Amino acid sequence: MEFVSPEGLRLDGRRPTEMRQLRAEIGNVAKADGSAVFEMGNTKVIAAVYGPREVQNKSQQMSDQALVRCEYSMANFSTGDRMRKPKGDRRSTEISLVIRQTMEACILTHLMPRSQIDIFVQVLQADGGTRSACINAATLALQDAGIPMRDIVTSCSAGYLNSTPLLDLNYVEDSAGGPDVTVGILPTLDKVTLLQMDAKLPTNTFEDVMQLAIEGCKAVANYIREVRKFLLIAVDIVGLCLVIKFRITFVF
Amino acid sequence: MVVKEEEMVLVTPGEVLGKATEVKAGKGAYVAKHNGLVYASLTGLLRTLSPPPDSPDQRPTVEVTGHKAHGPVPEPGSVVIARVTKVMTRMASADIMCVGAKSVREKFSGIIRQQDVRATEIDKVDMHLSFRPGDIVRASVLSLGDARAYFLSTAKNDLGVVSAESTAGKLVYCISKYDLNIILFYSFWIFCILQIASNIISFITLFKFS
Repeated sequence: MEFVSPEGLRLDGRRPTEMRQLRAEIGNVAKADGSAVFEMGNTKVIAAVYGPREVQNKSQQMSDQALVRCEYSMANFSTGDRMRKPKGDRRSTEISLVIRQTMEACILTHLMPRSQIDIFVQVLQADGGTRSACINAATLALQDAGIPMRDIVTSCSAGYLNSTPLLDLNYVEDSAGGPDVTVGILPTLDKVTLLQMDAKLPTNTFEDVMQLAIEGCKAVANYIREVRKFLLIAVDIVGLCLVIKFRITFVF
Repeated sequence: MVVKEEEMVLVTPGEVLGKATEVKAGKGAYVAKHNGLVYASLTGLLRTLSPPPDSPDQRPTVEVTGHKAHGPVPEPGSVVIARVTKVMTRMASADIMCVGAKSVREKFSGIIRQQDVRATEIDKVDMHLSFRPGDIVRASVLSLGDARAYFLSTAKNDLGVVSAESTAGKLVYCISKYDLNIILFYSFWIFCILQIASNIISFITLFKFS
């Protein structure tokens, strides 16, 4: 199948090094300490963070650092054909583990001993790159919860189809069976926290694909920083308005 | 500490705030050991605090104040308000409700051991005469305790039961530590006597008017 047309456009009209549109919302889950919705094109993910709170299972408590837990799930309606999947299947336990390890690398766990941080991510719409979207959503939710972090973690995937490195694969490109490199980085510290690939690829090609994915991660990082600052200002303005309103009602 | 007047600067985790040789990392900031830079660890407003003039370290402190305040957590030495839940012969367990002036967001449990109730005659303390379930106690945190509960102490003049319900169902406030225990102990008898008295009075009035 042809994934890149002779004009150099992909199936959904993007160029090979073009990302899908990003969108983020913060504070969607009222009960959680931090929450976010993150969209990459048609992939939509919701994340909620609870904690730092007391450890539920005392035997898992660590006296020098916080326990980070993560649960990944896919909504039944997230894929094209609606399926009822068992909760702890192989794929979701693996992704839970991957997200947990990635987030643990950036959280300053030693500041919160004897406590636990829970991250719940759920895929609302799946269109490829759910792993990356989940990590980005979790980062935003952790930031919203005010949990101290070394740096933000951002993630993006890249693939190699029709002898072209492609950034941010969608479902059709993902299921083509080619290599899919998912990278997670700490953008300012310039460190890799996640690197996954389930295919064989020559070293020089791999380097190109990984470099492309890293560029994608940096673009996501810029977006997240911007959106975070914008939303913070927005929250402040809303708060200010409320204060003014309350003052007025108080005067009358 | 004096806050320097400057425009609002918003930072996100991982942004460089300065060199460790020039600034000190306060709340919401950390020093990376490998390159000696100060990074932000929270999202929020950046503030620079100038050092007190008499300190030997003349570096200003940078701190990031987030928009979300975490609930207070008891630490050794802090004064807490707790509600007694269970009284045993050797100790009483209590739920911590406030740390200092702030109410806690989640549940913290504490234990007041027999030897920590008062400063004198610690071996003669009767826990059942000192506390009853539902009492509101002002206590100081001795230590983080065991895995389950903080160790609390009321062995100071300004600590102890501050509010309780008597057996008659009325709220009793503390006037002094000694009085409250006495009132609580005798209130049942006072209640009984009052009940008997009122019964007699009603009996007499009934008898008179019939």
